[in-house]
Amino acid sequence: MTALHAAVSARVGALQLRADLSVADGEVLAVLGPNGAGKSTLLRCLAGLVPLESGSVRLGERLLEDPAAGVRVAPEDRRVGVVFQDYLLFPHLSARENVAFGLRARGVPTSAARAQADDWLDRVGLRGFASARPRALSGGQAQRVALARALATEPTLLLLDEPLAALDVQGRQAMRGLLRTRLRDYAGPSLLVTHDPLEALALADRLVVLEAGTITQTGTPAEITRRPRSPWVARLVGLNLYRGHADGPAVRIGGQTLVTTGGAHGPTFAVVHPRAVALHRRRPEGTPRNVWLAEVDGVDAQGDRVRVSLGGALPITAEVTPAAVAALDLGAGGDVWVTVKATEVETYPA
Amino acid sequence: MTGQPGRRPETRRRRGASRPRRPLPPLPPLPSLPSLPWVLGPLAAVAAGLLVLPLVGLVVRTPWPRLGVLLSDPAVLAALRLSLVASLLALALSTVVGVPLAWVLARVPFPGKRLVRALCVLPMVLPPVVGGVALLLVFGRRGLVGAPLAALTGVTLPFSLAGVVLAATFVAMPFLVVTVEAGLRSMDRRYEHAAATLGASRWTVFRRVTLPLVGPSLGAGMALCWARALGEFGATITFAGNLPGRTQTLPLAVYLQLETDPDVAVLLSLLMLGVSVAVLLALRDRYFGVGAGSRR
Repeated sequence: MTALHAAVSARVGALQLRADLSVADGEVLAVLGPNGAGKSTLLRCLAGLVPLESGSVRLGERLLEDPAAGVRVAPEDRRVGVVFQDYLLFPHLSARENVAFGLRARGVPTSAARAQADDWLDRVGLRGFASARPRALSGGQAQRVALARALATEPTLLLLDEPLAALDVQGRQAMRGLLRTRLRDYAGPSLLVTHDPLEALALADRLVVLEAGTITQTGTPAEITRRPRSPWVARLVGLNLYRGHADGPAVRIGGQTLVTTGGAHGPTFAVVHPRAVALHRRRPEGTPRNVWLAEVDGVDAQGDRVRVSLGGALPITAEVTPAAVAALDLGAGGDVWVTVKATEVETYPA
Repeated sequence: MTGQPGRRPETRRRRGASRPRRPLPPLPPLPSLPSLPWVLGPLAAVAAGLLVLPLVGLVVRTPWPRLGVLLSDPAVLAALRLSLVASLLALALSTVVGVPLAWVLARVPFPGKRLVRALCVLPMVLPPVVGGVALLLVFGRRGLVGAPLAALTGVTLPFSLAGVVLAATFVAMPFLVVTVEAGLRSMDRRYEHAAATLGASRWTVFRRVTLPLVGPSLGAGMALCWARALGEFGATITFAGNLPGRTQTLPLAVYLQLETDPDVAVLLSLLMLGVSVAVLLALRDRYFGVGAGSRR
């Protein structure tokens, strides 16, 4: 039982970090957020590299830090494995010595530590690179060594800071597969910090969204992609998100009203998938309950789809085909009629 | 995509802060040659001449035929041996206590640190003779530390090998401290953090990560320190005197031989020039930019 329970409050520069989170044994929690949100700081707090202002960090039975109780376990005594963003492999040591470093620091005899290090290098697919210096390794290889180095010490908590960010597309794919295997085999709680939703979705069981030092949303990847609770997440998953006040099926957003099929009352979120937004040059007459005139702000091709940004009182993004862009001459801008069926608006309490 | 429409112009505005959307003015064409004020050229030539000509003169006037005879002169050999022993001892002493001092200055915050650092590097700019006088006042037979030391143990530092080492350490150690401290300050401390998360104690981190990572700075500091110790004259002659075979180092021997046998003086000077060139070569990557690819 080594589950992590942390209530972290810390200040670094202008950033005030306040985050409560728990990670179960064998669970992978992704901390997703924009750059500068405090993700890495959170990780450094858990590793003991940044002191808490208040709160506590508990790992299983062990209390690692609690300023109120005067408890602060030093980083070297926490048994927390960290894979740093730019690897931080010791440049003067070979791959084998890098992986063996933690074992030797914990008193394992040199030859045994080296043998274990070779085993770990094998497990991350780097047999034959044991005597290579970090400088001679590619980004992906360095990242594997960093992972092996962190896992070799058999940590009770595993922290990964943007493990794929510095890799190219191919390296990222390979590393993602390897990470998934290694994380599945790892018995303790893992925390993965990333700004890439794909990485979070691919590797994590559960997500925490951190924005400006505060957790704005928690849930499974499916919950978060379907029901975003912040503009940043909505933009990330490509949904139109509005925050308004529901009064039965009508949701008031600013001065506008969106008709939905909901029946709740009170503060609410409403999301519309860009695919559910239809555009017309002439005022349409039909079943859609939401019809309004909007100005075309921009047209952005994404593969075989085109995303059309529309301004006005209720800004919205529509996803259409290139053929539709040509037929409606959307590239020229101007005003278009926007329709959204009430059944296509999903609402949930804010 | 709620925020999208308003976002793009915003980023553009941020980038071109004062005047949005206006294209940047074209850059002026680069001159093919740097247009220097012409007066700098001759002055630079004078400076280079001042620095280089004496060394050329030294090499030209070296009594090459007498080289073998002079090099086997017992007096020369004694001075050479003493200089090597004393400068290496000073280097060892400087390293053993100077590296910890550099570490404290770089890493440990304490009140009055700026003053302590200033005092510690003062010998770099102090006239060495003044250093010798100061050493006499403290470690001399009647000195602040020297008197009780002599009374308790019978050991007197002036006019002994220990005195030579002490004088050389006094003037040379600051070079090592300053260089190593700069190295410690500029190193990426996250390597030390990584080592700590791997379970390394602070001493292990220092020994296995910090020291190797400041290795180039330490090497440079040691080279500078040793070169300075080897050439030490003022503090040595003031504090340790000029006893042939006991405290007469190479620089002191040069000074004296100039009156009795100038050829010996020239030869000894050449010897030290050789050492200096060797130190410079060892440091070339550090101070002369694009090294031979050994440092990336």
